[in-house]
Amino acid sequence: MVAKRSLMQSLSKSRAVPVVISVLVLLALWEGAIALFDIPPFVLPRLGSIVHHAASNFGKLSGALCATLLEAVGGYVLGSVLGLLLAVAMVLVKPIERIVLPVAVAVNSVPTVAYAPIFLIWFGLGPASKIGLITLAVGFTMLVNALHGLKQADESAVNLMRSFGASRLGIVWRLRLPGAMPAMVTALRISVPRSMIVAIVGEMLGAYGGLGRVIYESTQQIDLLSVWSAVLFASVASMVAYGLLVWIDQKLVWWR
Amino acid sequence: MKLSPLEVMPAAAVAPVEAPATMLELVNVWKRFGEAPAQTVAVSNVNLRIAKGEFVTLVGPSGCGKSTLFNMIAGLLPPDDGALLLRGTSQRDGQMLGQVSFMPQRDLLFPWRTVLDNAILALEVEGVPRKVARERAALMLPEFGLKGFADHYPHQLSGGMRQRVALMRTFLFERDLLLLDEPFGALDALTRTRMQHWLLDIWARHWRTVLFITHDIDEAIVLGDRVLVMTARPGTIKSETVVDLPRPRDPSIVTSPEFMSLKRRLLDEIEEESRKTFAQEEAAS
Amino acid sequence: MSKASLTTRVLRSSAFALLLVALAWELAVIAFAPSPRYLPALSAIGRDAWSVWPQLLACFNRTLLETVLGFALGAAFGCACGTVFTYSRWMERSVFPLFVVSQTVPIVAFGALIVIWFGNSLLAKVMTAFFLTFFPVTVNTLRGLKSCDPQRIALMRSFGASGLVMFVKLAVPSALPQIMVGLRLGIGLSLIGSIVGEWFGETVGLGVMLMEAMNGDLVVRLWVVMVACGVMGMLLYGGLSLIERRLVWWRSEA
Repeated sequence: MVAKRSLMQSLSKSRAVPVVISVLVLLALWEGAIALFDIPPFVLPRLGSIVHHAASNFGKLSGALCATLLEAVGGYVLGSVLGLLLAVAMVLVKPIERIVLPVAVAVNSVPTVAYAPIFLIWFGLGPASKIGLITLAVGFTMLVNALHGLKQADESAVNLMRSFGASRLGIVWRLRLPGAMPAMVTALRISVPRSMIVAIVGEMLGAYGGLGRVIYESTQQIDLLSVWSAVLFASVASMVAYGLLVWIDQKLVWWR
Repeated sequence: MKLSPLEVMPAAAVAPVEAPATMLELVNVWKRFGEAPAQTVAVSNVNLRIAKGEFVTLVGPSGCGKSTLFNMIAGLLPPDDGALLLRGTSQRDGQMLGQVSFMPQRDLLFPWRTVLDNAILALEVEGVPRKVARERAALMLPEFGLKGFADHYPHQLSGGMRQRVALMRTFLFERDLLLLDEPFGALDALTRTRMQHWLLDIWARHWRTVLFITHDIDEAIVLGDRVLVMTARPGTIKSETVVDLPRPRDPSIVTSPEFMSLKRRLLDEIEEESRKTFAQEEAAS
Repeated sequence: MSKASLTTRVLRSSAFALLLVALAWELAVIAFAPSPRYLPALSAIGRDAWSVWPQLLACFNRTLLETVLGFALGAAFGCACGTVFTYSRWMERSVFPLFVVSQTVPIVAFGALIVIWFGNSLLAKVMTAFFLTFFPVTVNTLRGLKSCDPQRIALMRSFGASGLVMFVKLAVPSALPQIMVGLRLGIGLSLIGSIVGEWFGETVGLGVMLMEAMNGDLVVRLWVVMVACGVMGMLLYGGLSLIERRLVWWRSEA
């Protein structure tokens, strides 16, 4: 066991090295291009100035980040739970799937951004509208993935359980749900960055606070440095959340 | 002393009976897996020789290294020790690739290709133009019982038919040496018997050299000129039995006394090796 | 076909479900008379759409063009990258994480920058669509190519096949189903990309119409644009399904 862990450690180290190298190369290219082509700061600011700006506005930006995160997490949890419940309902009661699924697919053909104005009208400018948007986006992803996962259970395994006298709910609980875990986890992973982006887009169209609001205001004031710092914050937060989820995934779904 | 005419004739005038040309020879071949100290020897000190046109069957308990041996002969795995000779020439690592027609246990048909296109797969890789290859394959279809199925897809065929397509693919790839790794293992007993006799039919007509792995003793005796028995891991050739039964082999041959005595002898040998394999597994668990 | 089975087939089809919902919508509006700000009647939406039909059509076509171009570029780039990452471990380890990071950056933030870089042109919108498309296509192409059956690879090697032959005859066809999944994801995102891209420039398009409706507080117009987007979405997915049916029609073994 110890041998395995140290092997894993050295493996992960060797994965980090090429990334670090390419990130450094990218940063070098960034600065190099600015210097070489004499790029004006409003097209591409220097990395140093972005970091400096982010640091000096740390308080304001973290406050905005918290607001955005609250919406993202709220919508993420709500959407995942509702999506899963709906998928289970569709498996238990066939007519639900037949009627609701085509509607859900049609609703999802509309890009999430197009819904934003309507949600702002329905739920106002506060966080509720963004949470609603995220719930819609994440919910549909979870619905599709969970449904696929639940339905892929081996027909002969289902029949076996029926021969034991298991009810439909029992089959779902003991057979379909565990089998659907990988698909559900995929949905959960995809939805993390998506929640952040939908939250920010929603805020850009109308909000009291949050990173999207900051970006919108900065764009109006043509303060592109602020835009970049806000982007930096959003990006880092997204990566941390994704990394957290990957870690949780490895701990939870250990049998893979 | 009266001398018979034969004794008077000079020795040179009596042409010596030529030993048939050797197609494949393995000399002291070894294969190990893993790193010390947890290293397993899959194949140890295998020596065998197969003559041109022979049909040789290889039996052994599961896990004895039969498939590993085959992978080495096909050029997919390099041997750790020893030499592989094809037609007398020693082969470097990977040199065997493309020289032997290999049929693995699963049919491995490509689901996106029709029966005909699956059959010509090896020919395509060889560089034969598709049109020519398709024509050649179309001629072979009736022989393999696939007449009319040229444009069908694998998922539309039964297991037996898919094996026949894979066999056709193997025969279309015109190489002198054929390696068949338990091709009939997944089929039911009745289909298997039919396929065995059909394979013998085709072999008699095309006259290639065949090395055939099986775990079924009946199959080994019915098909082979010689039966090689492999030991439990680490696998080596335990014995070689010449099957003296006349060809063409009739299905009723399985109940003849000669067949039975051969079977009895081989069964004892296999039993011994199977027992060793069980003991190995018990020790490992 | 008996009459009964035809009826059941109609009852089961998705079109019927949608029709049912549309009917329910109209009836609910008539029955409960909610404020038109919250839920306009379907008929009201239709009327408004008709009143601006030429503009709607022009915007629709423009957004469609941006989406399709962005998707084509993103798909081509994504497939190419997926292929490179499959066969070059080094490239995958170094460049792929950058791809992942790029997707955490909200494209909307780039909007203004993209207009600065590419001007207020078609190219700018195509670029935003491209940016959202290439990642899912790359990921799924990579996954599809890597999941090639190793036993089939061994079989091809035993025939003496070279790497290129194996790629063309085995890897690509076996990866196609997974690549299709990526393309389906990509095309939806491409549409989002074009719409968002349009917010940052005064051109023609559904995104522009959306902005105008929002700024002018034209609630019914918002619904019109939503429905138009939905129609485009279904058109794109439908088109992709047709392509999929021609390229990936075989049933792979379970």
